[in-house]
Amino acid sequence: MLSALLFAAALAPAHADEASAEACLKTKIWEGYNQGWAVRTATNATLAQGEHRIYLVTLYAGTEYKIMVCGDDGIVNADIVLYDSLGNEVMKDTAQDREPVVSYKAGSTDTYYVAVHATKLKEAGGKAGLATAVTYK
Amino acid sequence: MLSSVLLVGLLHLSGCDGDAPVEPPKPPPEVPVGPEKLDIAALSAAAVNVALVPSPAEMQRALEKNGIATGLSGMVTAKVLKMDVENKDVIAVRTGVALADALLTVKDAPPETLTGRLNTVKAGMAALGGGSDIAATIDDINARVVNNSVSRDDLVKELDEMHGAIIPEIKFEAGERAVPLIQAGSWLEGSNLVSSAIINANNTTAGTELLRQPQVADYFIKYVSVEGEGKAPDEVLKQLQGTLTRLKEIASKPALTLEDVKEVKSQTDAVLALL
Repeated sequence: MLSALLFAAALAPAHADEASAEACLKTKIWEGYNQGWAVRTATNATLAQGEHRIYLVTLYAGTEYKIMVCGDDGIVNADIVLYDSLGNEVMKDTAQDREPVVSYKAGSTDTYYVAVHATKLKEAGGKAGLATAVTYK
Repeated sequence: MLSSVLLVGLLHLSGCDGDAPVEPPKPPPEVPVGPEKLDIAALSAAAVNVALVPSPAEMQRALEKNGIATGLSGMVTAKVLKMDVENKDVIAVRTGVALADALLTVKDAPPETLTGRLNTVKAGMAALGGGSDIAATIDDINARVVNNSVSRDDLVKELDEMHGAIIPEIKFEAGERAVPLIQAGSWLEGSNLVSSAIINANNTTAGTELLRQPQVADYFIKYVSVEGEGKAPDEVLKQLQGTLTRLKEIASKPALTLEDVKEVKSQTDAVLALL
């Protein structure tokens, strides 16, 4: 009986739904088009609590950037931290939600690092799907 | 009697008396977000490059923000980009160039020109083993362009999404090199047009702001310089590697001169001429 339960648990899918995160992000991207935003890149990741994904980005001086994340319903709090090319924190999202946004206008053209954190999940041992977009105008 | 007592005791111990609420599992403690300064080596090692490269449309907007009003669309030239060649890397670069041209001219190109560029992208995607979905997407766009049933503003969004969100997620049969080499083709074409516009405007400040991207050149060099087993380097790829190496050197300068911008143009011209 116990072995059957463990086997079933092992087969249970991780609580991650990249598709729903992606659908949420796509809606935001298309809404953004109406306000003059365009998309450079949209991508997905599946993360456990405490994990993060780092994206290298080139930002043009004078261009406004908005970095958006949508988490699936398995995540309570996702965060974005923007670092400059030397690793200094430039900007951080502080909202306690699963759809963080960071806006930034670079003073000079350079490379930056965007860290997307799965800060708090609903279930220990679970995983969450997070979709990230770099948009500009 | 004894068994009844045991049963009641067990039910009590297990909390299955029918009244006690079952507590939901406690959420795990929140993990604090990273420190204010991170080790740059650790950042670089962990970083993924999917968002590194600016799109051609983004280059065009940045050009406008730097006071160069000349649109890149009028500078895009007609090209014959053959996709029936053996070298998949070359096909990927050519596909990227065609995609950049389609993106930059989507607003005002005649329907037959736009559909021609999109068909070149479609042929490239097919040769790289990009699956049937992207081909169907391009067919659908082309049909609406021909029927004039889609606004050019909406087409900008659709091609933008294709370039930035759909193509990077495709698992190409040609392998993982396909996406970065498609990006390399688009970036190369965009850089060539941007350098032309900067030269025409004689605006070196814009050169520094728009062409200083050494990490982008470095990212592409890593892919171009990795040869397949026993594969002789293609003439295009040899030229591309040399161009990217020189572009990285130029882009690493703190400020670019007009001569630097001219060299960016001549270097990118040399690769594009081979395509």
